[in-house]
Amino acid sequence: MTRHLFKLVWNRKRSNALMILEICVSFLVVFGVATLGLFFLDNYRQPLGFEWKDVWSVRVDIGKSGANLGGGEPEQAAIFARLLKEIRSFGAVEAAAGSAVIPFDQGGMTGSWTIDGKNVQMDFAEVTPGFAEAMGLKMVAGRWFQEADSALSWEPIVIDRDLAHEVYGSGDAVGKPFGKPGAEERQRRVIGVVSDFRKAGELMPNGNFMFVLKGMEGPEARPLRNLLVRVRPGTPAEFEETLVKRMQAVAPEWSFEVRPLSQVRATSYHFFLTPLIVAGTVSFFLLLMVGLGLIGVLWQNLLQRTREIGLRRAAGASRTAVHRLVLLEQLVVTSLGVLLGTLLVVQIPVLDLIGVLSNRVFASGLLLAMVTMYLISLLCTLYPSTLASRIQPAEALRYE
Amino acid sequence: MINLQQVSKLYRTDRVETTALDNINLEIGKGEFVSVMGPSGCGKSTLLNLIGLLDEPSRGKVALDGKAIDRYGDSALAQVRNERLGFVFQQFHLVSDLSVVDNVEIPLLYRKMSNKERRKAALAALDRVGLSSRTHHFPTQLSGGQQQRVAIARAIVGKPGILLADEPTGNLDSQMGDEIMSILEDLNANEKTTIVMVTHDPRMADKTHRVIRLFDGRQVQ
Amino acid sequence: MIRNYLKVALKILGRRKFFTFISLFGISVTLLVLLLATALLDHVFAAQSPEIHANRMLGIYRLTMKGPENTQNSQPGYAFLDRFVRPMTKLPSVERIALVTEAQDVVSFLNGRKIQSLMRRADGELWRVLSFDFVEGGPFTVADNENGRMVAVISETTRELFFGGRPAVGKTIEVDGQRFRVAGVVRDVPILRYSSSADVWVPITTAKSSAYKQEWLGHFTALILARSHADLPQIKAEFQFILRGAEKQLPDPKTFKFLVAGADTLFEGAARMFLPGESVVNPGGRLRAVLLALMIGFMLLPTINLVNINLSRILDRASEIGVRRAFGASSRTLVGQFLVENLVLTLIGAAIGLVLTAFVLHAFNASGLIEHASLQLNFRIFLYGLTIAVFFGIFSGVYPAWRMSKLHPVRALRGRSI
Repeated sequence: MTRHLFKLVWNRKRSNALMILEICVSFLVVFGVATLGLFFLDNYRQPLGFEWKDVWSVRVDIGKSGANLGGGEPEQAAIFARLLKEIRSFGAVEAAAGSAVIPFDQGGMTGSWTIDGKNVQMDFAEVTPGFAEAMGLKMVAGRWFQEADSALSWEPIVIDRDLAHEVYGSGDAVGKPFGKPGAEERQRRVIGVVSDFRKAGELMPNGNFMFVLKGMEGPEARPLRNLLVRVRPGTPAEFEETLVKRMQAVAPEWSFEVRPLSQVRATSYHFFLTPLIVAGTVSFFLLLMVGLGLIGVLWQNLLQRTREIGLRRAAGASRTAVHRLVLLEQLVVTSLGVLLGTLLVVQIPVLDLIGVLSNRVFASGLLLAMVTMYLISLLCTLYPSTLASRIQPAEALRYE
Repeated sequence: MINLQQVSKLYRTDRVETTALDNINLEIGKGEFVSVMGPSGCGKSTLLNLIGLLDEPSRGKVALDGKAIDRYGDSALAQVRNERLGFVFQQFHLVSDLSVVDNVEIPLLYRKMSNKERRKAALAALDRVGLSSRTHHFPTQLSGGQQQRVAIARAIVGKPGILLADEPTGNLDSQMGDEIMSILEDLNANEKTTIVMVTHDPRMADKTHRVIRLFDGRQVQ
Repeated sequence: MIRNYLKVALKILGRRKFFTFISLFGISVTLLVLLLATALLDHVFAAQSPEIHANRMLGIYRLTMKGPENTQNSQPGYAFLDRFVRPMTKLPSVERIALVTEAQDVVSFLNGRKIQSLMRRADGELWRVLSFDFVEGGPFTVADNENGRMVAVISETTRELFFGGRPAVGKTIEVDGQRFRVAGVVRDVPILRYSSSADVWVPITTAKSSAYKQEWLGHFTALILARSHADLPQIKAEFQFILRGAEKQLPDPKTFKFLVAGADTLFEGAARMFLPGESVVNPGGRLRAVLLALMIGFMLLPTINLVNINLSRILDRASEIGVRRAFGASSRTLVGQFLVENLVLTLIGAAIGLVLTAFVLHAFNASGLIEHASLQLNFRIFLYGLTIAVFFGIFSGVYPAWRMSKLHPVRALRGRSI
C-alpha cells in the first residue's frame, strides 16, 4: 500500500507540486514564528542574575552628546560623586551606583578581545563600586570592587560565570590576568566572578559580561551616563520628585530622567514581543488562508477522481479504506513539503547563519513546525476525505 | 450462486419516483455465462449494480452463494466485492495516473498480501489476457481493446469467481470486441468463472448460455 | 466584449461559492496586511500637517565621522550644522533652514503628579519651515532664541495635563527643572513624525549647558525648506560639496578624516538610519528595494495559494472549456476570459480588504497603542492597494492561464479519463 501511495503522489507530481510548495512555504513561516517564540521562552527560563524590583534608573544628561566623551573630566566626575553621595543620604535609598548601562535598556558596549589566542566576545560596562549591591548581583567567586581598587596599578575586572568558563575553562578565574594590555592600557586582572548579568533582560540569551570599575577620582575619572538606585520596598512614587529636585540642586546644568526598572523592563518586553505578536497574527491568518485553500484544492482533486474512487469501491475498498487512502496520500504530500522545508531550514546551522540559536531551540522549532503542518494538513483533509468516502460507486461509475 | 427474489429498485427525486427495476426474480448458477439485454434505460445497469453489491434494492432480496447480503455493513460488503466479484466497464475506468500493472493490482491492495505476491498475481492476470509486454505502459498509451483487456485482468486478478461486465465491448470496434468476447468465453470455459454481461449487441448475446431480457424494469422472458 | 467578459466572470464566481469564498478570503487578508503596512508608512513619511511642505523639504538627519580606526555615527551636532549648513540659507534655491533637536523625555512635577513630555529645542525658524496648527497664541521667534528667552510652545495634550485645558498663553510651566512662559499651543503631532512630534518646544539657547555649541555630533537635525521640489537635487549636490570642505576643518583630524552625510528626504533619512553601512548613493532607492522585497516575500504564500485554487477552478471547468473550444473559441479568448475573471475576483477581494483595513485602522487609532496616531485611508493608499491588487491578480492568473491554454480540447471534453 505504501508503494502504491508514493506512486500515486509521484505520478500526479504536476498537480501535487504546487501543494507541496505551499506546504513547504507555510512550514517555513511556522518555523520562523515558532523558533522566535521558543527562543524567547527558552531565554525566559534562565536565571537573570540580578534583582530589578525596587530599582530605579536615572538617565543623567550632562548636556554633552555621548559621541564626544573623550578622556577624563574630573570636575564633572566630582559632581557625579556628589550626586551619588546625596542620593545615598536619603532614608528611602538602600544603595546607589553609577553605570554605563541600564538593565533591560537598548544600547551598551560590545567588544571582542583575543585572550590566550582565543577570540572572546562580550558585553561590558563601566560601573561604580556600589553596583553589585544596587543590582543584587550574586558573587560565586572572589570579591566585588571596592573604592580603593581604582588606585591599583592594574585594572580590576569582575566577569560572569559564562565568560570565566569560556576563558579559563573549569579552572579558577580569580587572580588571573585577563588578556594582554593594549597600548596605554593597564593589565586587566579578574578579582571576582558573578553568577550572571543578563543586561538585555529575560528574553535575550545569556551572554558573556565584564564589569569594569570606574572611579570618580583621579585624572581618568569622568561621569557615567546612568544612576541605579535601589529604594526601600514600598517607597511611594512621589519620592521621585524629591529625588529629582535634590539632583537638580546638586547639578543644575544636568537633566535627569527617572524610570523604575519595572517600567524599563515592560518597555523591553514590548520591544521584543511586538514583532512576535504581529508576525504570529499575520501567520495565523496566512495559515487559515492556506488551510481553506487546501480544503478547496483537495476537494476539487477528489471530485476529479470520483470515478477512480468508484472503481476502488467496486474493487473491494470499504469507505474506511477510501478515507484512509485520501488521508495517507495527503500525509505523503505533506511529508514531502515538510521535508523540503526541513532541508532548507537545516542550512541555518550548517551555514552557521544564526549564532544565537541553541540546538534545543532550533530542534523544538523544527518539531513544532512539523507538528503544526501535519495537524493543519490532517484537519484540512478530513472533510474532503469524508466526502470522498461517501461517493456512491454505482453513481460514480455510471454512463455519461 | 446469484439469487434475486422479488427485487425492485426505485429512484426518488424531489417529486418524481422512477421504477428502475420491478419485481425481478433471477437465479444464476455457478459457471453460467449470462447476458442481460434490453433498450437503453430499461434497468440493465441497475440490475448489474445490485448483483455487484454496489447498490441496495428498495424491495426484495439479493443473495450471493446462498447468503442474503441485506444485513451486511459497508466493510463486509466491500470484502465480499473484493473476494467474490470482478467488474468490467464500458469505459474501462482505468486510473490514468497509474501504470498498467499498478491498475491491475488495485483489488489486491485491499487484501493482506505482500507487494511481491501482488505483483506476481498482477503479472499472471496480464499474461492471461495477453498483455505481458505492456505492463509498464500507461493507459493513455494503449488502444481501446488493450485498455479493456487491462480492465479484465484487473477484474480477474483476485480470482473472484463472478465477473460482472457492463457493455464491455460497447466502446470497441467489432474486431476488438470479438477479442474481448473470446477472452470472456475462455475464462468461462476454462476457469469456470460465472459471468453476467450487459450488452446491446445481439451478436455478443448469442455467444452466452442464456439471455435475460428487460423492458421498462421488468423481466420479459 | 469586456462587458460580456465581466458578466460571465461574475456568473462563474457565483456558481462555485466555496472557491470564490476562499479566494476572496485570501485576497482580502493579504490586502489587509499590505494596506495596514502602507498606511503606517504613509503615516510616517507622507506630507501632512505640520510637514505639509515635505515634498520640498530636506533634512540633515545623520552624520558619520570616519577615521582609519574609528567610526562614529549619530545625529549631527550644533557646531557642524551652525557652521556649514546654516549658511546654505544664502543659496537662491533655499527658502529657509531650521535647526531642531531630537525629542527627549523630560519630566515635570505638578502638585505631586509626574508628567512626562517629549521636548525639543529649536530655533525660531522651525515655525516657518513647518506649519503647525496653533490653537492659541503663536510661536517663539528667532529673536527669542537669540536672546535665550524662557518661552515655550506646547501641545494641546500638554495644555490639558498642566492647565486642565484652560487657556495657557502667558502662564508658566516648569519642565525638567526650568520654567518657561507659554507662547503658544499647537495641535498634537503624531509621535511617529520624526522631525515634528513633541509636546514642548523651547529655544535652543535655553539649554542648561552650552556644551552643545562645540559639538559636531549631537542631537540636532537641520530642516532645509527649498523653494521648489525641482531644487532638491541641486541642494543635495551643494551639500555634498560643502561636506568636502567641512572635512578639512575637522576638530580632531588624526582620529577622523572623512564625513558621510546627505541632505535627505525623510524617507532617505530613514534609509540612512536603518540600513547597514553608510552608503551615500541612493539610500532611498535601497530602502524602497528592501520594502518591495519584503512585500513580495510576504505575498509569496498568498500567491501560491491563489494559483493553486485557480488551477483547481480551471480543471473543474475542463469540460466546459472543451465545449467552448469545440465550438470555436480560441485558446486566447478563453485565457482572456479567465484573466478577467481572476482580476474581477482580486478587485472584489481588494475592496473587501480596503473595508477591513478601515475597520482595523479605526480600532487601532482608538486603542491609543501609538500616541496621537491617526492612521487614515486616503487616496494614495487606495492607489497603492489598487496597484497591489492588480499585480496580485495578474501574477496569480498567469500560470493557471498558461496551463489552461495547454488543455487539449478533446481530452478536456472527456475530462481526465479518471
